[in-house]
Parts: sequence; C-alpha cells; structure tokens
Amino acid sequence: MRVNRLRCLMPLLILAALGVAPLAAQRGGRGLGPPANNPFQGKGLPYETGFRAYIVMNMAGMGAAVDPKEIMSGTETGAPAQTNTASYADYEGRFRSLATQEANAAVRGARLGGAKSFAVSDAHPANGFGSLLPWEMDSAAILIRGTRPLFMIAGLDSTFGTLMFDGAVASAGSNGIMTHTFGFDALTVNGKKLNEVAIMALIAGEMGVSVSMVAGDDAAIEETKAMLPAGFVPVITKYAVGRIAGITYSPAKVRQMISAGAAEAVRREKAGAFAPFKMDKPYHVEFTVQNGMSDDNIAQVAAMQIPGLTLERNGARGFRFTTDNAKLIGYVIDAMQPVVIR
Amino acid sequence: MSRHGMSLALCALIAGASALQSQGTGRGASGAGRGGGAAVLPPAPPGDADTLPPAKYFGVTEYDLARTKLEKLVKPGGFAVYIVTDMEGLAGVVNNGREMSTGRSGNSPDHQRFRQELTDELNAAIAGARLGGATQFFVVEGHGGNNFRNVLVDKVDPDAILLRGWPRPNVMETGVNAKMNMMMVVGNHPNAGTPGIIAHSYALGSALTVNGIKLNESGISAFVGAEFGVPLGMVAGDDSYAAEMKETFPSAEVVTVKVAMSGAGGAMLPFARVHAQIKAAATKAVQRAKAGQLKLVTFAKPYHIAWCIRNTFAQPVYEVMARPAGFAIRPDSASGPRCFTYDTNKAEEIGTIMNLVEWAALKP
Repeated sequence: MRVNRLRCLMPLLILAALGVAPLAAQRGGRGLGPPANNPFQGKGLPYETGFRAYIVMNMAGMGAAVDPKEIMSGTETGAPAQTNTASYADYEGRFRSLATQEANAAVRGARLGGAKSFAVSDAHPANGFGSLLPWEMDSAAILIRGTRPLFMIAGLDSTFGTLMFDGAVASAGSNGIMTHTFGFDALTVNGKKLNEVAIMALIAGEMGVSVSMVAGDDAAIEETKAMLPAGFVPVITKYAVGRIAGITYSPAKVRQMISAGAAEAVRREKAGAFAPFKMDKPYHVEFTVQNGMSDDNIAQVAAMQIPGLTLERNGARGFRFTTDNAKLIGYVIDAMQPVVIR
Repeated sequence: MSRHGMSLALCALIAGASALQSQGTGRGASGAGRGGGAAVLPPAPPGDADTLPPAKYFGVTEYDLARTKLEKLVKPGGFAVYIVTDMEGLAGVVNNGREMSTGRSGNSPDHQRFRQELTDELNAAIAGARLGGATQFFVVEGHGGNNFRNVLVDKVDPDAILLRGWPRPNVMETGVNAKMNMMMVVGNHPNAGTPGIIAHSYALGSALTVNGIKLNESGISAFVGAEFGVPLGMVAGDDSYAAEMKETFPSAEVVTVKVAMSGAGGAMLPFARVHAQIKAAATKAVQRAKAGQLKLVTFAKPYHIAWCIRNTFAQPVYEVMARPAGFAIRPDSASGPRCFTYDTNKAEEIGTIMNLVEWAALKP
C-alpha cells in the first residue's frame, strides 16, 4: 500500500526530492541518524599533497538539464532494490554520464590551473547520492558518493585550497531552472537569504576555504554574486526561460566553459584573489520548510534532536535558531532529509 | 555475502515455512551425526526440514567432498592462491539496494557495472599474485546478488578457476584445503555492528566470535583456511574493514579502497589507483608468503563459537535459521533472545552453519 501511495505521489515527490536526500531509500545502510550518535561525523578524506581542489557537482544544475526526469532516477522515494530498474531513461542513459563528464571537466580545468589533488562530491540526492559514474571519473579524483554528514561538502577541511561549485541552482522561489534550497522555501542567516551555494560557502568559510568558481544557470550565478561579496569565477552554462525550460549549450561546449572557468579559478585562488565567506556571529538562522510538507513532517522537524541546537517555532512552517557554528546549519539540513522524504 | 534479496526471500519463506508444517515427519535424525551430541534446541519441525540446502533439489555435496574435488585440481610444486570475492567492499560501492543486486528484472545497470569492477579488482589481485610467483588461482564467488554468479566469466583472468553458483557447501570458503598456499579477499565489508559501508556479517545481528574474538566474514574464511595451514595474505575493502582486518590479522597486506562516511556513503578512491594498489599488495603478499613471513592466526581448540541472528528476520525465517540440523547448537539467552553458541574442533563446521543460516535468507 505504501508503495502504491508513493507511486501516486511520485511527480510531487520528485520535485520535493530535488532539494532533499532519500535517506529512506538507503535500506542497505545506516542512515545518518542524529549527528550526536553519528560515528562518521568529522571523518576526513585521504590526505593528498599539493594544492587541493574540492569540487561540488550538483547534477540538479548541470548544463543542458531542464527537467526533473533528466536529473532524477525516479527511485528516490524508498523504492526497494527490486524496483531499481524504474530509472528514467534520460537520467540513466544520458545525463548521469554527462554529469560525470562535466565534473571531469572541472577536474581537468583545476589541474590546468595548478591543482594537484581533487575531490568531487556527488551532491545531488538522485539514486542515493549516486548519480556520477565512479568508473567514468577522472583517474586522479576522489569521488564522494552516497549518504554522509554535511553531504554537499563532506570531507572538506582546511587542507583544501579552494571550493568550486558546478551545477549551482538558484534559491527556492527565484526565477531559475528547477530552483530549490534543500528542503526549505527559504533560509536566512542574520536576515540575509542564502542559496545552497552560499550556505555551504559559510560552512567552508569557517574552515578558511574560499569559493573560487560557481557554474550554473544565469539566475543562480546572479543571486550567488550578490550573496558572496568576495567574488568567484562565474560560469553561466544555461539561461532560464521557465522553471523547467532554458536556453542551453551542447554538453561539449559546457565542458569547455567549465574547464576554462576552473583553470582560471584555481590560478586566481592561488594568487589570493578570493576570500572565505564570513558572516557575523552568532548566526541568527531562520528557515521555512518547503510548502507541501505535511503537519506530521513539520512536527518531525520540530522534534529534531541535534546537540547544540535549540529550535524555536516561528510561524506555521517557520523555525529559527542561533549558533556560532555554521556546521550546525548543515546538520539541520542533513537531519531534515529523511523527515522530508518519508 | 550479502543481505540483499533477503526481503524478497522473506515472503517466499514465510509461505514456505508454514507449508513445511504440513509435510509429515521424517527428517529428525538425518543430519544429527555430524556435529555430535544432542541438539538442545526444540526439535526440528516435522517434514523435510528446510534447514539445509536440500540435496534432493540442489544436489549440494558435503563440504569435504567439495574440498576433495578442489584439491585434485591443485598442481603440485606450484603456488596456489585461494581468493574470496564479495562486492560490498569494492571501490565505488555505497548502496546495497541499487548496486549489489540484479533487481527484479535482472538488469540493474549499476549492479552490472560493479560486476565489472569486481572482475577488475579480482584480475588485479591475480595479476599481482602472479608477479609474486603464484601459479594457480582459485576464486570463490561470495556475493549473494545474482546468486553467487557475479564475476564476469568472459572478462576474468583466463587462469582463474571459479567456484560459482549456490547453494553449495560452505559458501565463502568452499573447498579451501591444505594444498592452497595463501588466501586473499577482495570486495568484502566491515562486520555487523561496525560503522562502515554496508556493514554486516551473513544474516547475523552482530559479530560472530570464536573464543571471544570477533571475526567478520573474511575473518571466518581465514579461520577456516588457517585450520588447513593457509595464511591470509591480502585483503581489500573500506577503511572500517581495513582497521578490523589489521587488528585481527596483523600480518596481512591491507588495501583501503574507500573511506566510509555513513553506512551508504563515503569517499571513493579512483578505480585505477585501487587496482594498482591491489596488484602491488598481492605481489607483496605472495612474496612474503614464500618467505614464510605471513602469520597463521589460529585459535585454541575446542573452538567456542557464539553468534546472534539478526532480529529483523520474521519469526518463521528466524526459526529456520535457528535450527541448522545436525549441530549441537545451544541457545545463549544470556546474550540475547536470538543468540547461540556451539563448540567444535572443526572450523569448517562454522562455514557450514553460516551456509545454512544463509539458506534461510537467500533460498533461491
């Protein structure tokens, strides 16, 4: 019965899932659980010498993609393994590979710019954070895939020289392609609205890591420019003409743009052109959970238990908390994922 | 071994187990000889108790016959390597549901691709071992997805001799024998209860122990191998698995292919790097084995074995798992409602018990 119900809700859930992770689908593994009890929290990447570039590949904002059926597998809702052939053909047969090649283009560019060590985060929840094809990855890149704490920038630490975003998506409610902000209608810090890139940039900023490149549609680039005053190399890979429509380039052209942008980004980062994104502490964080979430789900968000988090209600779907630790925002995002998708 | 497919098996088993109740009497004593001593568990239900891969349907041989058959294939004067394969611990793998099983239609694309990765890591291990001086390569298919047929037979090193398909005796150490010179493992995963990628141990709810020492699936294979004097030379898996293996088998070469960041996620090292590391470690392991530098990890007899069945199994399935016919298995209620102990002087019997427990979970 549950499966049938989920299937009926599939179109809605796909849109919802654009911003949230299908932990419920992770039957094989242990979910992230409350960060307090999470033995994986804080685990680092294997150390590599030389200038380290961390690349967030968010398939939701990749070049050419305009429709959820191109970037979602269709199995995000906890469908068991036995139905795993339900993947959308464009996602499975085409865009997963194209996203992998796009990430590789960023690695290639970063290498041209002088980076020696590369981590790529598969930051998009489709297929259990498993869209990028490990077997097609650049042979020097560490690929971070599957569920994990601080999923978008898992393993990032101060040994990294720069942070790059490929596939940035404009914030929920803006006029971009497939816009969303995790599971929120909006999230503000100290009254300032942040999109996914800016939230992660704030966490990275506390580690002393700056953002050097953001690639995505024109809406994402324009709003991120306003959010990150220290600047970055912008790469506009498509132009929004609707929520699921855009002016797009060929993937080959996109790869050239990403590669050139990443090379320039690393060169300028090494020259000291960028600065970590900082905001005044304590951070006053307010968020509104995604429209369409049930009262039960909102109650689950309200009941979220994270050490150091004191969540206050702020209207029907709103919450607020105060913290000195930007990672706490990331943990809230992690913890909300199973709640939202369930 | 894998737990995937178990949920699929559950419905069939629940139906199957209840059907067994009505099949009349007759099994009882048939398996009672092997373990020696009387079973203290409740008597097996009437009928052709579904506690063994039934020989009459699947023709499963006794494990000692399987061992004899394999022994005959070992050429004297060479160096024979016994390689246990699994899939959860392969480079790149994080997701049990989508990457470890075939799917209902038998064509999950990620599972199919990871069969190639299994073959690649296996081939790297064989190539490395050959460089070190190994001459024969016996490969056990230890992953339940696709019913223990995951190595791509047309892509595997032509010198490999495969033990594939299931049911068969002693699933993850079929036929290991005294003519083997070294054991290696690729693709295995952390123990049940360890934080790591797709951590589990057969259908158990926690780590099996031998004389109080925790053994994961690879550890159980090595335990069986050690009784025949076969040392563990090389293993590869995630960082949690690597730490476990280093603790229990300190003389083995250990390759870390990924860093676990949840039970279903983590940082994946590039495939090419992993293959190179496995190859180098296998070479080193064979060289060290030849130099007598690999230590055999053995346990004092009689072995005191303890395990608990995973509590997610429905009662009818659990009842089948709790009743491997022919072994004097004792309930260990002090450790938990689904816990058992068994004392034996033959490590191979543990392989058989795990095989029988697995039967309830994965019955084809």
